[in-house]
Amino acid sequence: MGPVMAGDPNVTEISPGEMLLDRDGRRTRVFVAVDGDVRWVFVDGRTYRFEEVRGGGSKRFEGVRRGSGAHGGSLSAPMPATVLRIQTSPGAVVKKGETLLVLEAMKMELPLRAPQDGTIAAVHCSEGQLVQPGVSLVEFTEQ
Amino acid sequence: MDFRRDQGLGTRNLIKRLLIANRGEIAVRIIRACREAGIESVAAYSDADERAVHVLAADRAVHLGPAPATDSYLSVRKIIEAARTSGADAIHPGYGFLSENPALAGACAQAGLTFVGPPADVIAKMGSKIGARRLMERAGVPVVPGVTPSDQSDAGIVSAIESVGLPALVKPSSGGGGKGMRAIRALDEAWEAVAAARREALASFGDGTLYVERLVQRPRHVEIQIFADAEGHAVHLFERECSVQRRHQKIIEESPSVAVTPALRARMGEAAVAAARAAGYRNAGTVEFLLEGTGDDAGFYFLEMNTRLQVEHPVTEAVAGVDIVRAQLDVAGGASLPWTQETLVQRGHAIEARVYAEDPANDFLPQAGQILLYREPSGPGVRVDSGITGGSEVTVHYDPLLAKVVAFAESRDAAIARAAAALREYPILGIRTNVAFLGAILAHPSFRAGEISTAFVDERIDELVGADGIPPEVEAAARAYRPRDTTAVDVPTPGPFGHARPEGRAYSAPPDPWTALTGWGR
Repeated sequence: MGPVMAGDPNVTEISPGEMLLDRDGRRTRVFVAVDGDVRWVFVDGRTYRFEEVRGGGSKRFEGVRRGSGAHGGSLSAPMPATVLRIQTSPGAVVKKGETLLVLEAMKMELPLRAPQDGTIAAVHCSEGQLVQPGVSLVEFTEQ
Repeated sequence: MDFRRDQGLGTRNLIKRLLIANRGEIAVRIIRACREAGIESVAAYSDADERAVHVLAADRAVHLGPAPATDSYLSVRKIIEAARTSGADAIHPGYGFLSENPALAGACAQAGLTFVGPPADVIAKMGSKIGARRLMERAGVPVVPGVTPSDQSDAGIVSAIESVGLPALVKPSSGGGGKGMRAIRALDEAWEAVAAARREALASFGDGTLYVERLVQRPRHVEIQIFADAEGHAVHLFERECSVQRRHQKIIEESPSVAVTPALRARMGEAAVAAARAAGYRNAGTVEFLLEGTGDDAGFYFLEMNTRLQVEHPVTEAVAGVDIVRAQLDVAGGASLPWTQETLVQRGHAIEARVYAEDPANDFLPQAGQILLYREPSGPGVRVDSGITGGSEVTVHYDPLLAKVVAFAESRDAAIARAAAALREYPILGIRTNVAFLGAILAHPSFRAGEISTAFVDERIDELVGADGIPPEVEAAARAYRPRDTTAVDVPTPGPFGHARPEGRAYSAPPDPWTALTGWGR
């Protein structure tokens, strides 16, 4: 079977998404799935997620994990979830670790906590609302 | 003419059509048993599961209602209605959902349906941790030190925590599976923890009653599978070691336990059978114990009794060489136990690894999305029970358990090696899973040495969830890969596999799985 990978003659696709990687005669099975700009790769029990960086044409590994941490002064849900309770309001002065929101997903409560001491600038959600990951729920000003 | 008569087992089985009041891997497991028993299977499904694996696998399917479990899989009324409209004469509840809710068993009895499980009053008795504990004490089964607060206010629970002493464990009086359970190590955490435990108890089980006990530190979690029939026969099918857990959610289970000697096994088995008899038990159940120490003199305490089929039942099926689900159907249908204690033998070693849709690197947050590529491992001694396939949507509505990999071999070392090898051949792409984390546990020297307790994962979390470097060939593969549909010009000559059509949406640049979820948008 001929190689189907552009740029690497040592990679052979053997079925859709399944490849053999040949390195000096030692073969490794690799699985790849594409989802828009995201590429998932499975090798030897490990899964890697790559995101295509627009412009450069190169791909990088998603280094920073998307979590319930602060992104540029805002807090967002780590996954689709329901806002169970809002425990803060604009103008509130909060301590690091204080629970600001409680989300619910998959029957588990997920608290969103203040990443450091600061002031709440805005709250962009209401109780009972279904929220998407990455969408700002609480704006936060560091002290 | 009943063709089941020719199949040996189940000649007295009265069940003809079984409704499975569950979803995912356990529904698929029960459908398999139905096939073998000559029973027609009926899948039940919510809006979110219209094209789920369990629905496609069953002989018939009935729609229950909207995606939220309270409107579908947790609705007794809808389940009974589904049994009626599909002409089912029996209901198997699986695990979770309504399996330990006496209301379903009771409604079945009223509607003249066979419930595959114990009678409603037994479920109710054992479902109350307070009542179960009293019953076990009377039956001479050792129990964990604790108190049963009659004042169920937050203040009452907090003062119960104080009197039991720290560390303490607060858990819902109904239900199990770690939902709503909170360990309290300092009193200033108690109020928030109690409130959260109560809300989760209400949300998961519809009952906010809480129970407080002393947290036995670094115990092993060892449970005994029991089985009883309507004629008063009761046996145990040995132990399962379930110490590898996180936040009371089991991750790896095995049988036998390295901590259990033949003498201890006999004592625990006898206690479990005594518990079953005291409860008036029927069908398959599990008596969970906390084990302190190892060997002949180890102490064990009754933790709870699960009045249902257990997630980890395949481990017992492997070492005892039995089919627990088939036996459930037969016994529910009126047959007597297919085994006696003397005929049951524990042989070899089995290990189960639970595959969850969760992100270990991100505090094990449950994940949702579409499975883009899916391939199950197989081979001698490898069993995979799963409820997903390529193209499946994993939603936020239900438990994140995707599949179970069960390895059976002649020794513990061989079973570990077999499970680890199977996990290395289990690509699930499109969503983060704990597959690599499971591999890290199986590879850990302490796990291999059998040095495990319920604190095993928490104490080694940094070792088990290490940041991975990216091997250069992995990055090369990611960069080099050209999906055939979208960049056909990059594919030179079609090879022998070149005409294979891609499956599902994996090759047509689907939208981001987050945005593909409907109903979430704002």
